[in-house]
Amino acid sequence: MVNAIADTSFLIDWIRYSKSKLIFKLFNLIYIPENVLNEIKSERALIWVSEGLEEGGLAIFPELPEISREALDLVVRSRRVPVRPVDYPEAFCLVVGRRLNFTVLTENGGAIALKNYDPEYSGVEVLRGIDIIYRLWRLNHLNSFKDELELYQRETKHIYSRKDLIKYSDYLK
Amino acid sequence: MRVDEDKVREWVEYFREAREIRRRYANWDFIKSQPLNVRVALEYYIETGDFRTAARIAGMGVDEFVDMAKDLAGIPSVG
Repeated sequence: MVNAIADTSFLIDWIRYSKSKLIFKLFNLIYIPENVLNEIKSERALIWVSEGLEEGGLAIFPELPEISREALDLVVRSRRVPVRPVDYPEAFCLVVGRRLNFTVLTENGGAIALKNYDPEYSGVEVLRGIDIIYRLWRLNHLNSFKDELELYQRETKHIYSRKDLIKYSDYLK
Repeated sequence: MRVDEDKVREWVEYFREAREIRRRYANWDFIKSQPLNVRVALEYYIETGDFRTAARIAGMGVDEFVDMAKDLAGIPSVG
């Protein structure tokens, strides 16, 4: 199993899902950067993270100067493109993903777009909640992809657009 | 930075569609009833999807702001 690193946008949505703990079946370890941890204030999020740390599925990723510098550079570069830019926490995760071959967990449109339009980051594996649910279903941890995606969207109040759903249209009929 | 311009154009459309969804689902009565900083933050979030800056405008934690936007203002996260 591979390691992953999660940003704030992913955690906020994912922990609202009633089967959120299933994610630990997909990854050896999920890292949460210090800068992401600093953004989490709600009781639900703090409890989920602290339980994950206790049970060994989560670990804190330290603020390493070399990665920080590259992440800041990526923030600046992304602002030269006329779509939603990446903020520092998402940039940090993308840099870690590229350098250490970690899967990046995000729901941030800017980060997902950057991986798509910037060839330097096209090799980074970026997954969203819909992708995690698909993988859990393929590994028989969930009974129905379609039903589970509907549940996920209802519980998390996250709506996937047509472009997002097209990728999985064969499995949503 | 070398970018794929065709893909950038696709993403411009993608973010436009996301903004339309946020506008459509928003509970405007709730939003209009909020103090100035929270109202402006929610409107900014609807238009941009930038929850981090919106949370700063509202003077709230990032996750607290997004939870409020979803549960009280009816604004889903999109995309």
